[in-house]
Amino acid sequence: MKYILLMSGTKTGVDTYHSWSQKDIDTHMAVLTSVAKELTESGEFVATQGLSEPAEAKVVRGEKNGMPVTDGIFPESKEFLLGYWIVDVATPERAYAVAAKISAAPGPGGVPTNMAIEVRRFAAHGQSKSE
Amino acid sequence: MKYILMMNTMRAGHGVPRWPQKDLQAHIAFMMNLNQGLRESGELVSAEGLSFPEQAKLVRAGKDGVPITDGVFPESKEFLAGFWIIDVDSPERAYAIAAKASAAPGPGGAPLNMPIEVRPVMNAPPPEML
Repeated sequence: MKYILLMSGTKTGVDTYHSWSQKDIDTHMAVLTSVAKELTESGEFVATQGLSEPAEAKVVRGEKNGMPVTDGIFPESKEFLLGYWIVDVATPERAYAVAAKISAAPGPGGVPTNMAIEVRRFAAHGQSKSE
Repeated sequence: MKYILMMNTMRAGHGVPRWPQKDLQAHIAFMMNLNQGLRESGELVSAEGLSFPEQAKLVRAGKDGVPITDGVFPESKEFLAGFWIIDVDSPERAYAIAAKASAAPGPGGAPLNMPIEVRPVMNAPPPEML
C-alpha cells in the first residue's frame, strides 16, 4: 500500500526555521536523511521531496480562454506543504510509525519538534479497495 | 526545472463528488489525456491521486516516539486531492500546464477553473548539510 506523508507548515513556521542554529539544522537534516536511508534498506522507500519556500508559490487558474491567471499572495496563516515522503508499506500502522519518526526529528536544542505529519493513502486506480 | 502542481480542492467531510457518471468520465478522460500529453513531451515526472480525507490521519510522535494518530479535521480544511510533478523549461510553462489542469471539465462539461498551487521542487540538500 502506498502512502504519502505530508509535512506542512505556515509561513511563520518557515521564518522561525531560518532562525535555527546551523548545528540544529544539521542535526535535523541528519535524522531525516537516516529515515530515508532506513526506508531504502527496508525496500519501503518510493520518493521524497522538499518544496521551495511559500514566497515562490503561485496559485494558477484557467481563464475562459484557457490562459493561466496567477496569484502569488497568500494569507500568513495558510498552511504550505514543505515536503513529502512516499512509502510503500504493508500496513497503515507502519505508515504511522514512519510518520512518527519524522515527527520526532529534532528542532532547536535537539528537542523533538513533534510536528504533525498528514498521512494519506494513494487512491487505488482500477484496484479493489481492500488491496 | 521541477515543479509540483497541487490540486487542493477537497474539503474534509465531503465524499466522492456526486456528479453524473458521464461528467465524471469526461473529467477522468481529460486528466488522462493531459498526462498522456505530458508523458509524450517528456515533462511528466509523476502524477498521483490521493484517497479521500476520511482516510487521512495526522500523526505526531509521542514522548517515547510512539505514533499518536488523529483523524478529525475541521470541515474547512483544504486537502490535497492529487498532484503532478513536471520537469519544464520555464515557470511560464508550469503555469500553462496548471491552467490546463485547472480547466478540467466538471458537471455539464463546464471548466472547473479550480485553483492549482504551483511550487518549484527543491534539489537534494547540499552535501554539507548531510
